Amino acid sequence: MYSGEHRVLIANRGEIAIRIARACIELNLSFSCVYTEADRHSGHVRFARENGGSKSLYCISSYSDANEIFSVADSCGATAIHPGYGFFAEDFRFARRVAEREKPLIFIGPSWWIIRELGDKINTKRLARSLGVPTIPGSDKPIYNELEAVEFADSLFAFQKEQGFKASAIMVKASAGGGGMGIEEVTDPDEFRSVFRRIRNYSKRQFNDEGVLIEQRIYGFNHLEVQIVSERSGQKHVHFGTRNCSIQSSGNQKRIEVAPGFASEDIHYIFNATSVLDCITSHSLSMAQEVSYDNVGTWEWIVTPRGEPFLMEVNTRIQVENGVSAAISSISGQGKVDIVREQLRLGLGADIGYSQHDISLNGLALEYRIIAENPDRNFAPWVGTIERFGWVAEDWLEVFTQVPTDCEYEIPTEFDPNLALAIVHGDSLEQVRKRGIEFLDGLELRGVDRAGLQLQSNISYLKEKTSIILEF
Amino acid sequence: MLNIKELLEEIKASPYEEVEISVPHTGIVEFSDLKVGDKVTGPTGEWKEKPGTVLAKLTRERNTKSIPAPEKGEIVSIRHDLEGKFVEAGEVLLRIRHFLSKEEVIQLILKKALFLFNAPEKAKYYFTPEIDTKIKGSGERSVKVRDGLELFIVSRMKRETPLNYTGPEGVIYAVYFHNGDNIDGGQPLIGVCPEDQLKHIQDVVTRVQSEWEERD
Repeated sequence: MYSGEHRVLIANRGEIAIRIARACIELNLSFSCVYTEADRHSGHVRFARENGGSKSLYCISSYSDANEIFSVADSCGATAIHPGYGFFAEDFRFARRVAEREKPLIFIGPSWWIIRELGDKINTKRLARSLGVPTIPGSDKPIYNELEAVEFADSLFAFQKEQGFKASAIMVKASAGGGGMGIEEVTDPDEFRSVFRRIRNYSKRQFNDEGVLIEQRIYGFNHLEVQIVSERSGQKHVHFGTRNCSIQSSGNQKRIEVAPGFASEDIHYIFNATSVLDCITSHSLSMAQEVSYDNVGTWEWIVTPRGEPFLMEVNTRIQVENGVSAAISSISGQGKVDIVREQLRLGLGADIGYSQHDISLNGLALEYRIIAENPDRNFAPWVGTIERFGWVAEDWLEVFTQVPTDCEYEIPTEFDPNLALAIVHGDSLEQVRKRGIEFLDGLELRGVDRAGLQLQSNISYLKEKTSIILEF
Repeated sequence: MLNIKELLEEIKASPYEEVEISVPHTGIVEFSDLKVGDKVTGPTGEWKEKPGTVLAKLTRERNTKSIPAPEKGEIVSIRHDLEGKFVEAGEVLLRIRHFLSKEEVIQLILKKALFLFNAPEKAKYYFTPEIDTKIKGSGERSVKVRDGLELFIVSRMKRETPLNYTGPEGVIYAVYFHNGDNIDGGQPLIGVCPEDQLKHIQDVVTRVQSEWEERD
């Protein structure tokens, strides 16, 4: 149970490590951070050094080496491990080992059997179908065999032809993938084999599993999410509204997230947007109830231009964009919610202490992912040294970053290229758009690469897309 | 044309290197009974299957890993103050002075004689699955490369992109990385020998083998 005497080992890096460490301080918990040589100058290392006290910082060989994490946990006397997002966050074997090792620890995330159940896209689809939750038509088991895959793909193409689809297309996905990784579209049946092999090889390299999922391609959809929060008992579930994550780079990577999922007061949709949001929220809660979900999680949906929702997957972790939901939420009118803090508190066994009736959602918020990349060259990452990074502070703005603002910072190439997350809050769609542009206009981001070329960033792309957020 | 004699003289002027032995990961350190000035051996056997002198042991999660000497040589410093302590990844335990072997001198000279195809940027590199299978099955020298051949997969910042070989046609004579290694930009990935120069390269190898005297 939550006693306030825990030490939390943060098995992650960058901005999420800082957010978790801050939440630990607010909850009066000790914490320890880890870092690799490539991250020596990351903001999370500095934060731990300045705020963590003794046993708060350890150099490890890799964030992906479980033995390193456990070795540090034992050395620093940790009682719990927070995996953040990525790395071990959705690895049920790791979560099981945390809970069942000789010196057990608390895994700050759902129980391992829930991660196992919902971490696989195919299992999730099976469960969803059994509860009458709509899912995208496609394979209901991972396909390993090429001939079987070709046969299945041919049947989907034939179905689309029979239905009179103008353009036939299917999606090939790594079954164990997530975060938009390992997904390719196939429009020409003759290209299927090479795409299947590529995704299978990719999946083997990245996720150590060759299973491939084949689904029907749905065009022009919006990508929505429902933020669920549950206590350890698995019996009390609440939601913190919906998010719209439709603005993505060419590689299916999110760039702007907005809460709530639709703005029916400001935009006219050809379907009843409120009813769609209610529908996906209610389905997500029913699935959480069914599996006794016991921490934070995100149900990801696609909504077609006609307003039909299909469940895509469940992310059994805290997500990058949790802050955008937190920015519009309050509990019993007590100001903004911190979902990372809630995850920690509930993960350590505290009672939730409020019900859905106590949660109110106010206004709109958007999150910009500020990235050194070239949107005109297929979002190719830019690598170099950040010389200056700064912004104008506002009471409607929060910026989460691992990039120091008072010294130079060389971007490590080993990790996700995100530099910062900026969350902008407003009372209306117009206000949040205006504030978003105001923030981007005032942002100072300069750098140079080894060849002396100036930093490239996605700021102009973010500005352009701000005008169309929440629209179909 | 490569001046082998000049290169050999240059290497002979400084025939050793100092090797830093650091821990590969966290754990508790226990040194072997060694002191400064002691001689250690590197891996031996036809396939280097026999590990070198055990320098220390590192225990993590109830697993003890030996840290063997990667090369033969002489110990020049040891951090005995770390005995029995928990160390972080990368902590340097000791230093060894290592005299270059014939094979290492050959590799040094080959790096000057072969066409080196370098990593264009810091990233993880893999051979494409087809090339990887061929190398595993028949060795790198069975792979012929030509300009424009899709040879590598570059993985960086959650993205994978193919990388084509650019350079003279020839066979892969040396591979300088393992699949999935993180390689700095500018570091060589492979050394390619044009087929008409294979004889010349073989002469270089023979000459080093006859002229270089190995030291303990």
